[in-house]
Amino acid sequence: MTQRWACWSGGVRGGRVLGFAIGLALLPCLVLVLPARAGDDTRSAQDSVRTPTSLPYIDEMIEAGWKKAKVVPARICSDDEFLRRAYLDLLGRIPTVEEARGFLATKAPDKRPKLVDYLLNHPDFSKDFATQWTILLIGRGRQDRMVDRTALTGWLRKQFNANRPWNEVVQDLVGASGSNKENGAVNYILAHMDGDAVPLTSRTTRLFLGQQIQCTQCHNHPTNEWKQDDFWGINAFFKGLKTEDVTKANATGLEAYDHTELHDEPTEEFSRFERRNGLMGVAFPKFLDGRKISQGTDVVRRTELAKLIADPKNDSMAKAFVNRMWGHFLGRGFVNPVDDFGPHNPPSHPELLDRLAEDFQKSNFDVKALCRWITSSKTYQLSDLRTKANEKDEGLFNVMQLKPMSPEQLFDSLITATTSHRSGVREQDQRRRDDWLRQFLFAFANDEGEETTNFQGTIPQALMMMNGELMKTALSGKPGSFLADVLASARRSRAPVNYMVDSIYLASLSRYPTARERQFAHHFLETNPDSLQVLQDLFWALLNSNEFILVH
Amino acid sequence: MWENALASGMTRRHWLGHLAATTLGIPAIQFFSSLEANAAALKKTNRSCIVLWMGGGPSHLDIWDLKPDSEKNGGPFKPIDTSASGVKISEHMPLTAKQMNHLSIIRSLDSKEGNHDRGRYVMHTGYPPNPTVVHAGFGSVCALELGEKLENFDLPHCISINSPGVGAGFLGMSYAPFVVQNPNAPIANLQPPGDVNWQRMQRRLKMLTTVEDQFIAQRKVQSASDHKAIYAKTLRMMNSKYQDAFNLKGEPDTVRDAYGRGSFGSGCLMARRLVEQGVTYVEVSLDGWDTHTNNFDALSRRLLPELDKGMSSLVADLASRGLLETTSIVWMGEFGRTPRINQNAGRDHWPRSWSVVMGGGGIKGGQIVGATDKDGVDVVDRPVGVMDLIATLSKGMGINVATQYTTPRGRPMKLVDGGAPIKELVG
Repeated sequence: MTQRWACWSGGVRGGRVLGFAIGLALLPCLVLVLPARAGDDTRSAQDSVRTPTSLPYIDEMIEAGWKKAKVVPARICSDDEFLRRAYLDLLGRIPTVEEARGFLATKAPDKRPKLVDYLLNHPDFSKDFATQWTILLIGRGRQDRMVDRTALTGWLRKQFNANRPWNEVVQDLVGASGSNKENGAVNYILAHMDGDAVPLTSRTTRLFLGQQIQCTQCHNHPTNEWKQDDFWGINAFFKGLKTEDVTKANATGLEAYDHTELHDEPTEEFSRFERRNGLMGVAFPKFLDGRKISQGTDVVRRTELAKLIADPKNDSMAKAFVNRMWGHFLGRGFVNPVDDFGPHNPPSHPELLDRLAEDFQKSNFDVKALCRWITSSKTYQLSDLRTKANEKDEGLFNVMQLKPMSPEQLFDSLITATTSHRSGVREQDQRRRDDWLRQFLFAFANDEGEETTNFQGTIPQALMMMNGELMKTALSGKPGSFLADVLASARRSRAPVNYMVDSIYLASLSRYPTARERQFAHHFLETNPDSLQVLQDLFWALLNSNEFILVH
Repeated sequence: MWENALASGMTRRHWLGHLAATTLGIPAIQFFSSLEANAAALKKTNRSCIVLWMGGGPSHLDIWDLKPDSEKNGGPFKPIDTSASGVKISEHMPLTAKQMNHLSIIRSLDSKEGNHDRGRYVMHTGYPPNPTVVHAGFGSVCALELGEKLENFDLPHCISINSPGVGAGFLGMSYAPFVVQNPNAPIANLQPPGDVNWQRMQRRLKMLTTVEDQFIAQRKVQSASDHKAIYAKTLRMMNSKYQDAFNLKGEPDTVRDAYGRGSFGSGCLMARRLVEQGVTYVEVSLDGWDTHTNNFDALSRRLLPELDKGMSSLVADLASRGLLETTSIVWMGEFGRTPRINQNAGRDHWPRSWSVVMGGGGIKGGQIVGATDKDGVDVVDRPVGVMDLIATLSKGMGINVATQYTTPRGRPMKLVDGGAPIKELVG
């Protein structure tokens, strides 16, 4: 990995980089090498050799769609667009000033796939994907005391960091048992088992199989093939769930709650439900494809369900994940909503979805490989800028979607932008993030992690962004702050004004200012004696802008 | 920061004036383009709704439907006469008793949900929770159906005081409640930090407008301009002349004392001020009703005096200002409480036969709808469901009861599903 990153500095040579930037541009080599410990990856070297890094058919099939519909694609995005997009999609935050300078300065022709490799091995990758999946699995809201959110996130982080095959992760989440503190995966089941495991039934099929069978809890699906029996057939797998709170003597010697144990008792119980005609129905464990398991106490039902869902031959699990990831990167899945597959909702590119799912299966469910395939495609690298020719969005992926940042992305990006002179995320940032998110999300009753919680704006959110404590701290000019650092470095630079303006733009928008923007900022700096105030105001404006808050 | 502005000879109101005067012709003013003109055009013809939310589930039998003749369930409270003939309520609500000619009691509600979250959900939306769709709170429906039709109104249409209430569900975030966490404190972040005077704010907005406009011009996409729209809305609120509705400082002491100075009384007063300015829906919460133990002490010492002051002052105040005709008032919570008094002198959750109170805004006062039996257990007359309440309120406020929405996933969703307006109240 170290060698690979040598290319970064190589690219800097002879670039049109201002003198002061060269030193900074070299920095990434030092910073970037550290997290790239490929050794965490549990996959064998052989696996990696066999798994391709890109799949040319993605673009071929997408382009075929354009030709057929006679639509024109947007241009390929510029380096700064790619940089910002890749950081937000893979690390859940924007790049730091140094990271941005380093990438923009290098001329290496393969710098985009290299950036993706770097990001996939960055600690923030597993951190961000663990955050995303925690929200998908248990939502954002407060949970019962027996749900250990931190343990779940920590467990997920380990899986993404090790690039565990996705089907194994799923099998663990559905089948986990034991202490929710020791085995974080247990918390998924704990969060949804109330109410006869009805929420658990619907969430499990929705998340891992892309099947929305929850309507069939009460009636047969009006437009697709699911029947009430399908819902309750899955529900019956959860019949043996048992929990036990374990207490432990705490520091003062008192017995206090310590953790919850989850296990399954062998059972012969069936699920009962009321049919529309008022008659009672009963269901024994039956998987969606009709497969049944023993009705006796010789099997642990949930273990069997986990195996059925995670079966490498199970297409719907692979497709559900591929589609979700495609939606994550492209702003829209082949199937939308990304978790609602079925004849009532056909995919936009069925053959591409099938092939991707097949290759995902062949790769032994290699999550990072899937990220590489998608991000290396031309389709992912299209600009979001529309021209007359592609003004209309036909759902053919001929132009990149604008995606609003999630609240988590927004916070992490604000922190990155305003402390990018420091390295690493500090412990206290994590606590601030929790406090800030609580306030930011206060107005929402919906914790389902749906897109409605993204910043499309409420007044209290805009007020927080404009006048809130975090912004105030971010704009501080106190010694040690980002702006104080910029001012100090500018004084040492040959072109102080350019340096200041560039830094502010790179920190917030991950790009250099245009000539017009530079001129505009110069005007303010030259006509005002207090440079710090002007920088604060410019920084405020950029951090509050739509360009900052949208992933483009 | 408010003080800073004053010290520098500048009030918030001036702020906008200066901004408008000094930035005419430059981009920043575009943030305010729709602000000019007829801010005063808003008249009191608009309808409003104030919900008094009793968080935890109020013990209706000790407030609105006393059972002095029930040996086991009656409890210690005595009924008293009210300004409505034949209507009796709890002795601990003497001030509200004088306003009962404006209010009607529905004593036969079956809301079916006995869990706090589910009860809150069903009472706000009319629907039980459903994993496939998040329904819209009635406040958000009001914001969409009535608030959005007001021109140049620069406060949020749906406001929730003391608790977040229920969100806009499938209607989308722009109809979600604006939450006032504490009515006795200034609205969080409503003013820029002290060191940012109007000149700097003007510069910030000028810079912001430049970035925003460039981004929008390049994209021409809804989400890019939506962002600018919400910022414009926020800035209008920061500069709104109606903003003072959130500030109770100017209210005379006698009024503050009459409403009560706790978060509920102050919330009620704020609700009156907001409705007066044209806000469509305000919800004020009073928490602490989950009285599984010591129900009677909690009610007589703490909850009822606070409720009585706030509620009675609100109704009287609205009536004397001529606002009651256009303002519907609802008193409710997640559910009622059990007729049976438990071993801890408490009452437990009870959605099967309980009471809510409505009045104002086209809803007849002084009425009793429905009845429970001698022990308060079963409904013996005129059963009412939650959808009937939504229908009644909608009708009273002039919202079409047959309104139907389509969720983002394409599912049709009726505002009122399987309910009808209560004829005795909105006949």
